[in-house]
Amino acid sequence: MSIQGEIDLCLGILDHQLVDADGRRCGKVDDLELEGVRDGDPRVNAIVTGPGGWRGRGRLGRLLATLVRARTVVIPWEEVAEVGADVRLRKPARELGVGWGHDLAARWVEKLPGSSL
Amino acid sequence: MKKVFSVALGIIAAIGGFVDIGDIVFNVAAGATFGYQLLWAVVVGVGGIITYAEMCGRVAAVSEKAVFDVVRERLGFSAGLVTLVAGQFVNLLTLAAEIGGVALTLQLLSGLSYRLLLVLAVSALFVVLWAMPFSWIERVFGYGGLCLLVFVVAAIKLHPDWGSVAHGFVPSTGTGDGVVYAYYVVGLVGAAMIPYEVYFYSSGAVEERWTPKDLGINRANVLIGYSLGGLLSFALMISAGALLLPRGIQPDLLGTVSLVAASPIGQLGLILALVGTLFAVSGAAIDSAFSGAYSVAQFFGWEWGKYRHNAGAPRFTIAWIVMLVLGFLIVVTGVDPILVTEVSVIFAVVALPLTYLPILLVANDRAYMGRNANGVLANFFGGLYLVIILVIAVVAIPLLIASNMGQG
Repeated sequence: MSIQGEIDLCLGILDHQLVDADGRRCGKVDDLELEGVRDGDPRVNAIVTGPGGWRGRGRLGRLLATLVRARTVVIPWEEVAEVGADVRLRKPARELGVGWGHDLAARWVEKLPGSSL
Repeated sequence: MKKVFSVALGIIAAIGGFVDIGDIVFNVAAGATFGYQLLWAVVVGVGGIITYAEMCGRVAAVSEKAVFDVVRERLGFSAGLVTLVAGQFVNLLTLAAEIGGVALTLQLLSGLSYRLLLVLAVSALFVVLWAMPFSWIERVFGYGGLCLLVFVVAAIKLHPDWGSVAHGFVPSTGTGDGVVYAYYVVGLVGAAMIPYEVYFYSSGAVEERWTPKDLGINRANVLIGYSLGGLLSFALMISAGALLLPRGIQPDLLGTVSLVAASPIGQLGLILALVGTLFAVSGAAIDSAFSGAYSVAQFFGWEWGKYRHNAGAPRFTIAWIVMLVLGFLIVVTGVDPILVTEVSVIFAVVALPLTYLPILLVANDRAYMGRNANGVLANFFGGLYLVIILVIAVVAIPLLIASNMGQG
């Protein structure tokens, strides 16, 4: 998407909530991929979500990224529908490959009686 | 009319939900040691929780962000992670203390063995968390906690010297051991401002889909509910001051606390005190278990919320189950729950600034908050309390050691 008006990348997007097309929370904006920084025309290329995105986020982030085994997903900027209080995606999480941990946990919880209460 | 009714119910739940085991332990111990001298510290603590819970509720209503969303957005990944770990450590200790408190209260009611009752308590909490809708949980335990109002009757019936009571509302350095006195000041302020309350409150506001239209409800809940909740704290301290201090009794057991109500009122007082404690402490156990799950889910961006069915927010569900299991494992070692309570409150104090600073920043951010950003009054108290919690955060652990946990 193209952004109307100004957004501070650090305060306005980074670490914000990702919400998919079905309104489901599906991770955080753990890092951003920029391009054209050297040409003086920086643009956001993609959103990085998952442990791989923590690597660039300070020493603790790097430490946690080596400890946690989970998928890191790069979401192209074209998949972003809207940036407001949270970052809305155009597709359901599963299609973008970010619903992995949720689905795995759901399979466990569904085994218990009354899981739909 | 329906709205007025719903607001009233929310306020009543807030009164009953205000007191937890930390408040009970610190207010009664402070009353038994220093009489009414420390009532002002409760006022300071209640003012602090009103200031920051109002801000958290407002941020949640306007921006749909709960506390840990805000913490991570403002502090970034690494500092946010430090806050998360500190907050979770405190949530877990608090939960362990509350589970222990539930078992101790059940033991006083039934006479069964403490370890057996721990298993029973944690199983019952699991069933409630698993099966009961969010609004019910808040209400049932809030209303049940109102039985603690028996302490207000007890405080009056014990005929305290009202002149000295009034004097206790004026801040002073106190008579007696200064280090122990300072330790109780920190504990009383910390117990009133314990962070799980705002994690829970703001997440609940998001769960109930508050909008700026609900800002009035937010203000009423916080101002009236927490002030009247503070009344329960006063009553606990005044009763302890009137009954235990002259007799030199130190309340080492939760049973002593209930006897404070039994002495002037009799058996009915005892039962009401125990039932009230049971509901208040169970409610706090639920709040702190959920707070742990809310925090971690919000930090990592997982789906969360009790309004989704258990499998609809599966990582959140697993998170609170893990919290319950870990809390149980701590108390089942046989460690004294009263000791865990004191330690949890003191460590909570250390974690307070990390939680409240990001809230203050976001509540001031007009990009999110628009015309509902902090006004002069909210910023005055927000700033004042930030200074207060920074000071008590620095002195909390040294005082814990120097005062030998209030034993002098």
